[in-house]
Order: sequence, then structure tokens, then C-alpha cells
Amino acid sequence: MNGIPVLSVMTWAPFVSALIIMFFARHRPLLVRWTSLAGAGISLVASVWVYWAYDRAAAGFQFQEEFALVPSMGISYLLAIDGISALMCLLTSIIIFAGVFASWTTTQRSQEFYALLLVLVTGVYGVFTTLDLFILFLFYEIAVLPMYLLIGIWGSSGEVRPQGIFGWAMGRTGVGTKEYAAMKLTLYLLFGSAFILVGILALYVATGSQTFSFLTLESMQFDPTLQRWTFLAFYVGFGILAGIWPLHTWSPDGHASAPTAVSMLHAGVLMKLGAYGFMRLGMGLLPEAAVDWAWLVGTIGCINIVYGALSAMAQTDLKYVIAYSSVSHMGVVMLGLATLTPNGLNGAVFQMFAHGIMTGLFFAIVGLVYEKAHSRAIFQMGGFGTMMPGIATAFTIAGLSSLGLPATAGFVAEFLTFLGAWSSAYQWWLFPAVLGAFLTSVYVLRVAGQIFWGPKSADPHFHDLPDAKGPEWAALGILVFVLVLFGVVPSIAIGPVDTATGPLLMRLVGGQ
Amino acid sequence: MLTALAPELALFALAVLVLLIGSLRRTGRGPAGWLTLAGLVATFALTFAVPEGTSLLNGSFVQDGLSLFATRLFLGSAALSVLASMTLRQAAFSRRSAEYHFAVIVSVLGMSVLASARELILLFVGFELMSIPLFLLTGFLKRDAVAPEAALKFFLVGTASSAVIVYGMSFVYGVTGSTSLAGIPAAMAEGHPLMMLGMAFLLAGLGFKIAAFPFHMWAPDTYQAASTPFVAWLSVAPKAAGFVAIIRLFVEGVGAAALIWMPAVAVLAGMTMVTGNLMAIPQQNIKRLLAYSGIAHIGYMLVGLAALSSSGVAMMLFYLVAYTFGNMGAFLVVQAVAQSEQSEGIDAYRGLAQRSPLLALAMLIFLLSLGGIPFVAGFWAKLYVFWAAIERGMYGLVFLGAIVTVVALYYYLLVARRMYIEAPERPEPVPVPGLLGAAIAVCVIGVVGMGLYPAPWVTLAMRVASTLFS
Repeated sequence: MNGIPVLSVMTWAPFVSALIIMFFARHRPLLVRWTSLAGAGISLVASVWVYWAYDRAAAGFQFQEEFALVPSMGISYLLAIDGISALMCLLTSIIIFAGVFASWTTTQRSQEFYALLLVLVTGVYGVFTTLDLFILFLFYEIAVLPMYLLIGIWGSSGEVRPQGIFGWAMGRTGVGTKEYAAMKLTLYLLFGSAFILVGILALYVATGSQTFSFLTLESMQFDPTLQRWTFLAFYVGFGILAGIWPLHTWSPDGHASAPTAVSMLHAGVLMKLGAYGFMRLGMGLLPEAAVDWAWLVGTIGCINIVYGALSAMAQTDLKYVIAYSSVSHMGVVMLGLATLTPNGLNGAVFQMFAHGIMTGLFFAIVGLVYEKAHSRAIFQMGGFGTMMPGIATAFTIAGLSSLGLPATAGFVAEFLTFLGAWSSAYQWWLFPAVLGAFLTSVYVLRVAGQIFWGPKSADPHFHDLPDAKGPEWAALGILVFVLVLFGVVPSIAIGPVDTATGPLLMRLVGGQ
Repeated sequence: MLTALAPELALFALAVLVLLIGSLRRTGRGPAGWLTLAGLVATFALTFAVPEGTSLLNGSFVQDGLSLFATRLFLGSAALSVLASMTLRQAAFSRRSAEYHFAVIVSVLGMSVLASARELILLFVGFELMSIPLFLLTGFLKRDAVAPEAALKFFLVGTASSAVIVYGMSFVYGVTGSTSLAGIPAAMAEGHPLMMLGMAFLLAGLGFKIAAFPFHMWAPDTYQAASTPFVAWLSVAPKAAGFVAIIRLFVEGVGAAALIWMPAVAVLAGMTMVTGNLMAIPQQNIKRLLAYSGIAHIGYMLVGLAALSSSGVAMMLFYLVAYTFGNMGAFLVVQAVAQSEQSEGIDAYRGLAQRSPLLALAMLIFLLSLGGIPFVAGFWAKLYVFWAAIERGMYGLVFLGAIVTVVALYYYLLVARRMYIEAPERPEPVPVPGLLGAAIAVCVIGVVGMGLYPAPWVTLAMRVASTLFS
């Protein structure tokens, strides 16, 4: 396309700006921020352009770039996107662009912070754009590993500690501290990547054709037994990152401990990486096994929805509420994928996008509230709506999208998924899904009422708090705009996604 | 004939020369260190002049791809260790410098003979020539509180394992009627029970040498007590020698008959990986931690060996090189930190990233390589051995290996956490002596170079391994 390798530009621009930051911006915090913004901005422009220029009529993989890296093993640098990955790239670039604004005030070791953050984003883009499984695995690792330092150094330890025996046990084991959360998250995700690697190698050896290219592997028919086991490996491996129950427990701890931009990126984008990998590799390469295991994936998705929502209700720490709501919403994604219906699949992908934007907005707001009020304890705060009307409005919009109010992106996603669930082979899936949406409205409205719209807190610390300012407005503004835009005009997302889910579904269930 | 023996002859001459110079000189550190270094490097260069595929003394001494590959590994790692040990501060190392370096050279000579031996007696002589100087070097600081004890322990275990090896060899000799290794494949294919017994003894004895489970107990104690630059080498070269002996006895020319050992080696590999990684978790002393992690790495190499295929052996050799760079590098960083902090506890690494960013980065790179993270050597090493095992359908073993790899990352990250996340107790940087820094730099280049461009090493390992199966 025009001779510009636009996908490479999008993928590597953050990496290049990370290098610039490491080498040229020592002790110049403002330069660090502007360089990060430039890197994220270039990616944003590239991803918007790709999204707009994607030829929906032609469908399939476009903007292909390829050159052989290790010909003897069939490893090549192969980038291309279809409708799903184009939407995911758009999501990534919006979140990181807003994330840079949201963490504008980070001062502690900001040079390393932004460099690691941008390296991580490169990994995320890489996973979404590459079609070579080996390179995909490498990008996946790049996306996972910097998280350890990002949470460990810049994170925050949980403040709302339980009392009694649990408090004692948590104190003894370090549960709730940022070091614990960082280690837990990293080990869980690396545990998952071990599964993924074994799965990829198993497919590679099984083909005997010396290639890691998705396009070649996709045209293969794998032995059913191999499919069953490899599918499980991919399900567990990518599922951990997507937060499937009962392997989700890294997510609340990790997201609650991470600094604002990292929470946004991790809950908003990295969990989608898991769902995307599961969809692309698990369902795309192993269609027969995907149909065989659909009952498992969908049922666990339902457990996720209800369990995550119930856990979110029980939390007293604001950040944990949002973190558990991610677990619940990722259940909707997995459920949508498991329905094996056009509506379900479109809903799942739309939910990935909608939840990404929404949870990014949530975490940005939690970060802002914490910065102003220095508290995350829900029941100590109150009546912030009069002091910070802007933040309160943004939170409410995110909350309404979360519970699926029409005219927000969340509505479209959940509605499509529910339709899919109803027309799937397991109609009862609809009930836990709807129950989850109901529970979500309980905890979201309760939190919004308590903190923002209820009576003012008696604590004098919470009087005279400022509203968002400067760059923080940019972060909130961008995310709210996208959330509403995609809710009102869902076709801008559904159009390209549909071109990719259609052929996938054909492979899964044939012409039935 | 002389060209084929050139590396061994050169090492012998070097040993004598170093000892002579040492006895002439009475004060100061003397030139023994530099002389040894130069000699080792020169011998390394000399190995490239040796014609590959020569066979001497009726086939009992060969210079083939494997022996040259191993000899270069021994020489290179010894040179790195000597380079780093010249920065040791204790008086004994300068006063008895010639003695120290003489022992190192003789040990390398033993390894190099062992790598070329195609005959039982020569193999055993090589083993002893390698081992006895190692006992001496372990207890080199003889007035130290723990070194003599560790040396004694090492000595007892080492001689016991040698006895087991000789015992096993006697069975092999009894069945084949010859001390030549050439008779083993046929006897193994016949499957004589005494032959099996003898080979089992050999496997156990060699298991001690490479510190595989359940023969691994000596390693942590020995590592903790001996001087760190020496341990860096001890943790690498003798194990490589043990693996060469295993390849000579169990793999070379044996073909399909070797497959009967696959379950045994696979079990050994699995147990070694699990034990090493689990035992490493509670360690508070970094040298003990690296010792147990080293045991785990032996397990990974055994995974490659268990495949008993050309690619499996090749990947094991590749792993050996990656492990050499990564593990030696880590021990050398330990030396720098221990010398400055007077402590080998992992708490000595608190805030190292803020005190000495480059040293901390080097350690991080080594730890990531040992942990098997992409873009450094260890990733390819693990990938390749697992790959070879998957080709043999050993999914269970690979799965186990992949899981314990994550366990390993836990304790590597514990060190990384101290370096990067925790705050330093003192602000001043850790001083790194120039020579030690150079040795560390070589290891970093090795690890990163192999990580970014593994192809030439893979080709080399493949070529070496393929000759064993023809």
C-alpha cells in the first residue's frame, strides 16, 4: 500500500520512541512525555488510517508485509491484518494514547516507566498484526514481561486490608502488596505462555512442512486427537491472559496494584490479547476441536460473568471493583466466542473493543480520583459529584456502558452476545449472561451513587477536591467520545469485524 | 600424528612452564595468570589447525567434531575463569598463583583427553586427570573455615563415583572382551543383561559427575565454599565433560539400540529439572541458588539427550554453550558483588540497578537467559531441546519442563526484584575490577549474540552431532 509498510510503522513506532527516551531524554521529564506521545500518536494515526483504508469488500488479510527471518525453520516476519485485528489495533492505539495523558503526572523514574510502557505496547501491536506463530510468541513475551517491573516499581500496594485472620494471613504472605501482585501476574502469564509454546510447537511438528505461517497452517487439517489437546493448551494458555475462571486471580491483584496507565493497558488491551490469541489460534487453526470444546468454553464464560460480578459486589476497594468487573466482562467475550453464531462472534469482538475502552476509562478515573483524594476506599468517600463534575460524569458514562445501556458501546456488545447465546446450541447460557448484566448494574450504580452522587463524606480530607485538568481531560475526553461513538454508530466496528468472523464461522460450523 | 595431539601437547607444555616459573619466583603475583591465559587462548586457536576426523593409537584417541567442540568449550570457559580469577584479592591467590593455574591447566588437559577418548581406560584416566585438580582447587584456601570441608566432600563423592564408573566399565569389558568403545554398540544391540548392568553403573557414575538427581547433593556445598571465578568454571566445564562421556558411551554409533535408555534418561531428566528448580526457591545464598538452578539446567540438557536423536544431541550441545555463557556470567557478577559487599546473600543485590545499572543489567540478562526468555541465548536452548523431545513424541516431559521453567523464573525474578524494585542500602556503586568486567562483557556478548543470531551455533551443533549417528 503506497510502499509504506504501515503495519511495521504502527508496531515499531512506540519501540523507537522508547529507544529515544532511554538514550536521549535522561533527566528531561517533559521530553520523555512528548516523545511517548509522539510514538503513541504515530501509531494512532497509522491504526486509524489502516482501519479506514481496510477494504471491506475484499476482506481477508490485507497490508501484508513479509520477509524471511530464519528460512531453515520457516520463521518469517509476516504482518497482515483482517477486520478483527484492525479493530484491536485501533483499540490499542486509543488506550495507549489516552494512557500517556492519564499518567502525565508520573514523576518517579519516568524515563524507565515510559520506555517500558512503550516496549510493552510494541509487543501488543506485534501480537495483533503478525501472522507468523513464532514471531507472535516472541511479541507475546514482550507484551508480558515488562509488566513485572511496571507493577513492581511503579505500582501501589492495596490499602483496604481485611481484618482478623485473613488480614494476618495476608500480612504474612505479602498478599495485596505490589511485589506479590507483580510476581503473581508474571508467573501466571508465563505459565500460560508455556502452554502456548508447547501448542505452537506441536502444530509445527505435526505439519512437517517447516512453516510457522498462520496462512499455511490454516489450510491444514490436523488430526482430531492432536486438535483436542492442542486446543486445550491454547485455551488454558491464552485463557489465563483473558482471565478465565479459575485462573483469573492474577487479574484483580495485578490490575489493582498497577499504576494507572498500566492498568488501563493491561485490562483494556492485554486481556484482549488472550481472547484474540484464543480466537485466532485456538478457533482459527483447530476448528473441529473448537466445536467439540464449545460447551466448556461457554460454560466457563458464564461462570466468569456471574462470579466476577459477585466478587465485584463484595469489594470495598474501588480499584478491585473495576478489576473484578473485567473478569466478568471477559466472560462475555468468551461466551460470545463459544456460541459459534454470527451474532455471538461479532458481539464477542465488539465486547473486546467496548470493554477495552470502558475499562480503560474506569482505570483512568480511579487513578484520577486517587490522585485527588488519596483514597480508594469506596465507603469513606462520598459526594464527589459536586467537586469534580467532569470525572463524575465520565465515570457514570463508563458505568452505564458497563451495565449495557443503549447508546453506549457496551449495549451493542452485550445485546449481540445475548442474541448469539440464545440461538446457540446451549440456550441456557443466556440466563447467567443476563444475570451478570443485572449484577453489574447493582455494583456499578452502588459505587457511582456512593462516591459521586451521594451525600458528601464527613471526612474533611475529601472536601475541596479539584476536578481533572489539562492532559487528564484529554484522556477522559477521548475515551468517552469513542465509547459513545461506537454505541451510537456500531456499524463502523461491526462492518470490518463481520468480514473476518464470517469466514471463521464457515470453517467452524461449515454451511450449517 | 603430532598435529592431532597438538592441543594436548600444548597444554602439557604450558602446565610445566607455569609450574617452573612459579617455583622460580618467590614474591608477588607473577606472570602465571597472564601466561596461562595466553596459553589457553593460543591452544584455542591451535585447535582450528587440528585436522578433523583423525584417529590415533588404534582408534582409542580421536579428534572428531565432538572432541574439538568440547575442547574449545573447555578452553574458552577456562580462559574466562582465569581472566576473572586474576582479580581475586586473597593473598593465597597471588602467593600460590602458579599452583592455582597449574591445577587449572592440568584439569583442562584431562577434559580434553577425555573428550577424545574412545577407549575405556583412557576415558577413565581423562576423568581422573580432570577431577583431582578440581578437588585441589576447591580446597585451595586451605586455612579457610569451609573450603577444606567442601573439598573433602567433593573428593569423597568424586572418588566414589569414579569407583562406580570403573565397576561399570569392568562389566562392559567382561561382555565385549575389549576396552575399546567400538564394541559397545554391538553388545548393546544384543542386550546382554550384564552389559545392561554395566551401562547402568556407568550412567549412575556419570550422573554424579554432571550432578543429575539423585546424585546432585555435592554441588551446592562445593560451590558455596570454593572461590567464585573457579566455581563459574566448575559449574560448566566438568559437566560438559560428563555429557561428552555419556555421548561417547551411550549414543555414538549405537543407533536404535540406544532407545532402550530413553525412559531412564527421560525420568532422570524430569526428576533433575523438578528437584533443581524446587530446591532453588528457598535459597538465600546466591551461589547455592545458582547451584540448584544449574542442577535444573542439567535436567533440561538431559531432555535433549533423552531424545537420543541427532537433533536432540545437537540441541543439547547448543544448550551447553548457552548455559556456559549464562551461568559463568552470573557467577562472575556474583564475584563482583560479593567482593564489594562481603556477602553472598541475595539481599546484597538490593537496589543494584540504582547503584550500578550496567552490572545489574548484565545480571538481568544472564538471569533471563537462564530462565529461557526470548532474545537471549537460553530461550533458543530451551526451545531447541523441547523441540527435539517433541519430535520424539515426549509431550509429557516437555510439558513438565515448560512448567518448571516458570518455577525457575520465580526465583530468578526474586533476584531481579531485589536489583530493580527494592531500594539500595548504600548509594555508592559496586566497584568492578577491569578484568572481571571484561570477562562479564564477553559473557554478555555471548548470551545476547546467541540470542539474536543463533543460526551459526545451531549449524555447528548439528554438524557435530550428525557425525555421531553416521
